Parts: sequence; structure tokens; C-alpha cells
Amino acid sequence: MTRKRFVILSLVPAIGLLATLAVVSIAGAVWFALMNRTLRSPDYDFVGAYNFLRLLRDHRFFNALEISAIWELVTVTGTLVVAVLLAVLIFETVKKPLWRNLISFAFLVPVLLPRVAAAFIWRFLYSPSLGAINYLLSLVGIGPVEFLADPSLALVSVAIVDIWQWGLFFTVILLKLMETLPRDPIEAAKLDNARTWEIHAYITLPMLKGPLISLALVKAVESLRSFDLIFVMTGGGPGTATETLDLYAYQMGINMGGRISYASAMSILLLIVTTVAFTIIWKAGKKWAN
Amino acid sequence: MAHIHCTDIVKSYGAHPVISGLNLDIPNHEFVVFLGPSGCGKSTMLRMIAGLEEVSGGRIEIGGTDVTDLPPGERGVAMVFQSYALYPHMSVADNITFGLRRQGVSKAEIAPRLKQVAEVLGLEQFLDRRPKNLSGGQQQRVAMARAMIKTPKVFLFDEPLSNLDAKLREKLRTEIRRMHLKLKTTTIFVTHDQLEAMTIADRIVLMRDGMIEQMGTPDEIFERPASRFVADFIGTPAMNFVTATLEAGLIARSGSIKLQLSEAEFPSLNPGQEVELGLRPARMDLCAPGSANALTGEVVLVENMGAEGQVITEVDGAEISFVTQGFRDLSIGDTVHFTIRPEHIHVFDPKTGRSLRKD
Repeated sequence: MTRKRFVILSLVPAIGLLATLAVVSIAGAVWFALMNRTLRSPDYDFVGAYNFLRLLRDHRFFNALEISAIWELVTVTGTLVVAVLLAVLIFETVKKPLWRNLISFAFLVPVLLPRVAAAFIWRFLYSPSLGAINYLLSLVGIGPVEFLADPSLALVSVAIVDIWQWGLFFTVILLKLMETLPRDPIEAAKLDNARTWEIHAYITLPMLKGPLISLALVKAVESLRSFDLIFVMTGGGPGTATETLDLYAYQMGINMGGRISYASAMSILLLIVTTVAFTIIWKAGKKWAN
Repeated sequence: MAHIHCTDIVKSYGAHPVISGLNLDIPNHEFVVFLGPSGCGKSTMLRMIAGLEEVSGGRIEIGGTDVTDLPPGERGVAMVFQSYALYPHMSVADNITFGLRRQGVSKAEIAPRLKQVAEVLGLEQFLDRRPKNLSGGQQQRVAMARAMIKTPKVFLFDEPLSNLDAKLREKLRTEIRRMHLKLKTTTIFVTHDQLEAMTIADRIVLMRDGMIEQMGTPDEIFERPASRFVADFIGTPAMNFVTATLEAGLIARSGSIKLQLSEAEFPSLNPGQEVELGLRPARMDLCAPGSANALTGEVVLVENMGAEGQVITEVDGAEISFVTQGFRDLSIGDTVHFTIRPEHIHVFDPKTGRSLRKD
């Protein structure tokens, strides 16, 4: 058997399965999106592009689009900033391998929690009457703060939970990556009179540029799937302050309206937007990395 | 002005001492080589002078300033690493000027200095390249440029040539030596290659197990080794060692071997004393049978080294080698006579390994 044939034969089953699953579901969504089906009645008609055109006039849809974009931006940058700062801090201050491993283990715990569990834990922490955070704030005379009910705070409060889970996890990854870096350039930088922050800003982090870009992309994809977290913590509220696209699609398609066709059209648009956005980001990231 | 002054340096990792009470003085402008087998503490010593490794005890002074507790960047030293240690994501120019930029030197001042070092080391056409697009020799030149541009008080080289091929090693060795003759900056150079040490050093510090075994000029180390260890470590082919008993008249005898020793070098030896003789192959040569200090052996192997050859012979069941230009006439199984002059014979105490030469 030639090499090429072997490659093709071993790839075909997996790609075939994935393609089938993807094609069937996407085709199904497109099919629904072209009709006006609802959960309320069995009757339906083909309506062509009607659902898509309506979306373009839907303020709530654009609000959800904006919330999704903010959510992506806040969680991705927040996670990376937290991870970089904590990893550098631990790298510089904790030298004993035992302590580092213990800290790493502790930092892995949040991401091992199911999203829903994490969401409930933080809902209690954030609670205005019972929550530990408001108790601490009351000691210094602030509050009670309505973290999840205040429209200007809700999105950030939920994002903090996401950053808590993923930022600490990425800290461990970054710390381990920093440990694998060659020591010599860092020592050369020390001899070159670089201060500690300069060593990291100019030497170690640029050397980790590739992995950092990959982590950002992983997190960006992951952030798109925060439905469970947001749903449990705020359900998209107050009002539509934390309603991302997937939440809106769910509300439209299943929860309130049962307007399956409309929700399908939204999913299709979401698919197109993210595919285009990620292709651009990926290309830009690759260019930057070189 | 930078002499280096190390007092009672101790370094231990946990309970394991690497360097125990080392004292060292390096005068200004000198080119000193730390030489020794791997694990002898020479690199550790260098890294402590650089400030990359903390001392467990003792003080280090550079140019009259106690630098023991100063961070590496403030010691006025520049170091060239075995791995080159270039910043992989920066251009050659940025690599070279990184230190100056960290010191806040102005751009207007950096540019001419960069031009000058790049010229000296022949790097002008590579300034925009990344290190990974350079050969090993070019990378090491960049590392040297990065050290030179800072005009440090002391240059530290940590086995800088070990990753290069033999020819390039020789070339860069000459360049480093030439650079030192021009700049006259105090330099410490670590190597395990005795030939490199002999050719490049003003003075060699030969280390063993964290102690200085001998310190001296290359000639002193070669001609007057202070111990059997030094004698064995220095010189290729390696020295022959023969255990012998002294007889009256400073004659050392071992089986069929009978060698006259130098009265001037070894006045304190007594008849009956057991000694270990050191015979450098390069100091012996073929002779007529019956000559003074002649050894007689049977040729076991002849190694062609080009201009000369190493002849390995069997004398009383032990192997003794010597170097001769007349090796081409010898073949395995021949009986050969070779001799060594009394002043070239080294005598060591078989118990302590120290040389029995008068000081």
C-alpha cells in the first residue's frame, strides 16, 4: 500500500463521520430556516429568506450580537491577562517544585468543575443577602451590590466566573511552558541589565508568542460555548444585559416563542459570522506570529 | 581597571559542596582560563562571578567593588554562553543592542557603537537577520558582539567554542585572543579542552573537585605540573606513569627501566623511596641502544599523526608511548630504544600525587 493511499484510507472514516454529522445538522438548520415552523402548530410554509430579513430588523438580535462580541473580548483578554500575570508571579516568587505543583493542582480545580456547578457556587457568592462577597464588602461599608441584577455589572460578574475557571487553568499551562524555556537567554538578559518585568516583557513572553496565540484561539472558541454558565447565573438578564446569541436563539426557539425557524436562521447567521471572524483572526495571528 | 578578587568562595547545593574555600586573584588585563574535567566546578565558579549563581560563602570583588550581593546586570560583566543564548525572536541588531537599550543609552549613541562592533566581528550584512538564520559560528560572533558593545569590565566565556566544529573553533579562538590583545579587558574563559586553554591563556587555573589544583602560565602547567593529576590532564598524547624505586645517585629503577633523575630539580629524594615517574611522550625520542636513560620496548602500535607519530611500546608488560618523527620506519613487533633527558622526567609522590620537585 502506498503512503498516499494509507493516508486517504485512514482519514476517510473519521472525516466521513464528522462531515455527515455536520452536514446533516447544518442542512437541517438551513431547511428549518427557510420555513416558518413553530412549536405551537404543525402547519408550516416555505417563506424563503423572510427569517433572515426579519433578523436584520431585530434590535434584540443586534443587542445579542453586541453582547456576544463583548463577552468574547472580555473573557479572552481577561483570561490571558490573568494567566500571564499569575504565571509570571508564580515563576518569579515560587521556586520550590513542590509548592509550584501544589499551586498548579489547586488552579486546576475550577476548570474541572462542571460549568453549572461553578455557576451555582458563584451565584451564592454574589448573592446580595447571603453571599460571601457582599459580606466582605459590608465590612468595609460598601453594598450590598447587586452583582447579577445590576445591568451594568451582570456581564462582568459572569465573565469573572469564566476567567476564574479558565484564567487559572491557563496559568498552569503558561507556567509549565515557561519552565520549558531555555535558561540561557533569560540569564543573558539578566546580564544585559534587564529588570524582572523587562525579562518577561521582552524575552520570555515573546518566546511564548506561538503558544499564547493558540491559547487565545482555544479560549475564543470555548467562550462561544458559555451558554450553560450564563443561563444558570442570569438567564440572559437582567433584561437582555447578558443575552448572548446562543441564549437569544434558545429563548426564541425553545423557551418562549418556540419559533424554531427563526432560531435556526439565527444559528446559521451565527455560524457564518464566527467562521468568517475566526478565519480572519487565525490568518492575522499566523502573520503576527512570524 | 578590573582585577578580580575571590576570597574563600564556598558553593554547595544542599549538603553537597561543589566548591569549598576557593581563593583566586586575577590581575587587570589578564586572560585567565578555568580548565578542568566536567564537574570540577569551573562553570559554577564563572557563574558565581557573573552573579547568575549565589555564593554559599565568601566574597567576590571586581575592580575593587564588592559585587557579592549585586545582581548580574550591575557587576559590569559580559558573558558569552556555550549555547550562544541569543534572543531568538529578535534581529541580530536588536540582540546586540538589547543591553544598551536596557541601560537607557540613547539611540544616537547606540548606532555608531553597533556599527563598530559589527564591523570588528564581520556581522554587517547579518544585522537584520534572526539568529536561527545564522550558522553556529555567526551566532557565536553575535553573542560576542553583544558582550563587546557593553564595554564591560570583565568578559566571561563559558565554553563558547564547544558547539562548533574543529576548524571554526580554531578560527574563533584566534579571534578571541586577538580581541583580547586589542581591548585588554580582563577575561575569564572556561573550557575543558586543554589545547584550547594552552593556546589562549595568559594563565591557567586548573581545577579539580572544586579546588584549584594548580595555577600558572601554560608553560608552568606543562613543564612543571604540581601534581600527577595536572600532568595527566595536560598534554596529548597523555603522559606515561611508571612506579619506580630510587637507588643511590638519583637513579629510578623499575624492572628493566633505569632512569637518571635531575639533581637540580629533585634534591630531596632519598634512596629506597617509592616514586611515580611521569614521562611525556613528546619529550622522548628514538636513540641508539645503550644511550643514557634509554628504555627498550617492543612496538605494539604506531599512530600516524602527520608530521610525527605516536609509538606505543610494551616495556616489562606495561605500555609506554613516545612521539617521534621517525615512526615511518617502525613496524609492529620491532624492538625500539628511546630516551628521555633527566630534566624532563617528572617525579610524583605515589600516595599524595603531589610533585616532588623543589619549589
